[in-house]
Amino acid sequence: MPERNDEKFVRDALGRLPVEQAPDSIWHSIQTSIDASLDAPARVPARPLFWPRSRWAFAAAAAVLIAGIAIYWRSANRPRWEVKLTSAGKTSQEAVRAGDWLQTDASSTAEVRVGTIGTVEVSPRTRLRIVTTRPDEHRISLQHGQIKATISAPPRLFFVDTKSATAVDLGCQYTMNVDDYGNGLLNVTLGWVAFEWRGRESLVPAGAQCRTHANAGPGTPYFEDAPKAFINALEDFDFSNGGEASVRTMLVSARQRDTLTLWHLLSRVAPPLRAQVFDKMTSFAPLPKGLTREKVLALDPPTLETWKNELAWTW
Amino acid sequence: MTDREVSSEVIEACRRGDRDAFRVLYETYKNRVYSACLYFFHGDAAEAADVTQEVFVKLFAVIASFREGAAFSTWLYRMVHNTCVDSTRRKKVRERIPEIQTDSVASHEMQLLHSRDAATIQQAVSSLPPKYRVAVLLRHFEDFSYEDMSKVLNCSMGTVASRLNRAHKLLADVLAPLRDRVTAGGRDA
Repeated sequence: MPERNDEKFVRDALGRLPVEQAPDSIWHSIQTSIDASLDAPARVPARPLFWPRSRWAFAAAAAVLIAGIAIYWRSANRPRWEVKLTSAGKTSQEAVRAGDWLQTDASSTAEVRVGTIGTVEVSPRTRLRIVTTRPDEHRISLQHGQIKATISAPPRLFFVDTKSATAVDLGCQYTMNVDDYGNGLLNVTLGWVAFEWRGRESLVPAGAQCRTHANAGPGTPYFEDAPKAFINALEDFDFSNGGEASVRTMLVSARQRDTLTLWHLLSRVAPPLRAQVFDKMTSFAPLPKGLTREKVLALDPPTLETWKNELAWTW
Repeated sequence: MTDREVSSEVIEACRRGDRDAFRVLYETYKNRVYSACLYFFHGDAAEAADVTQEVFVKLFAVIASFREGAAFSTWLYRMVHNTCVDSTRRKKVRERIPEIQTDSVASHEMQLLHSRDAATIQQAVSSLPPKYRVAVLLRHFEDFSYEDMSKVLNCSMGTVASRLNRAHKLLADVLAPLRDRVTAGGRDA
């Protein structure tokens, strides 16, 4: 029964192929396309001017004409972002719209003007897609490579999707690199960035960075100048199931500034460890007035928010 | 397929142009459609994302014409199949293996995250001619019956069987080194 054996073998083999997560950016692109098609100008049917035999021919011609006008209108009216491409020392100007891809090779770079809110510098060997270009949402999807975003706008107007996390601009400058699988690093140089994925959020201030891994999403943010042992232990905790041992290592080597990381850990460790993290944090500075240990350990959102805002002065 | 079918109420709401219902429909099928496209396009995530988007935009435009009583997933996958084939014809898609940059962060961890077997199997599927590739993906990745496959592929069940038979032989040859391990492990839960 070699045929049946082959079929069973192939079935078993293909059963090992994972169902991959569709990137979030696809839905945004779909919405943009649907919005554009729904926004296309409607036409009120005119009164019939011709005798019945030619009516169908007229209708067909009119449909083609209207479709042509709609397609032209749609493409002409979609907001464009200007792009300055530099390749082998030569510079050229292009424009991109929602749905367009932008790719640089080893010897080229690009600078994208993001509406009126900022710029994105695209490094060599980078591929990204323009997803949304609305005034209330500017969104790109970074497939692989590196970008540097400089945004001057109210929070949550500029988004960078990757396969494993979305960087949400809170008024800032940052670099982000990612590979095709969604493994990447966010490095913030000005302001704040929220690094989000499926309900998990890491808040990354200037001077800090945050890794993201395929299937795991964004890790915990840390300052670039944190002790090496601290960073290694955090890496183990976030992506290698380091668990309690790695948290204890972090607590030994943490500095006051590393309360950024410890504050995030409060909601990411089990209650017994949470108390130890809390004690370490309060060893650097007392809990602000009005906040209580019990509410912190219960992860009361207003309490955590207030404490973060106080701690942020030392970050 | 029943566990992955959306309710008739959702489809009916989509036919009326309800955007929230369409989101529900999208969420139900997005990963399966994207994965099928990903494996069809040799693991090219960008191409898979493009085609997935195209499928759902088309779906939104034509769902009003979906006939009640027909299996929605069969109808949807016919659209997926046609869009994949159209895209291949249109763009003459290059056989692009995603680049692994030696200086990319955490690239050493990719091998931990993606089993070698899955990569080998994906490559083997990618090496099949499109008509065999679609057939094995529908049959063994999407669990379609021969009857549903014949509707999706617009051919007879005999043709489906013939394509599958040929695909099985080709894949069995290419994947022979994995046979012991795969057969011992069986189908993953």
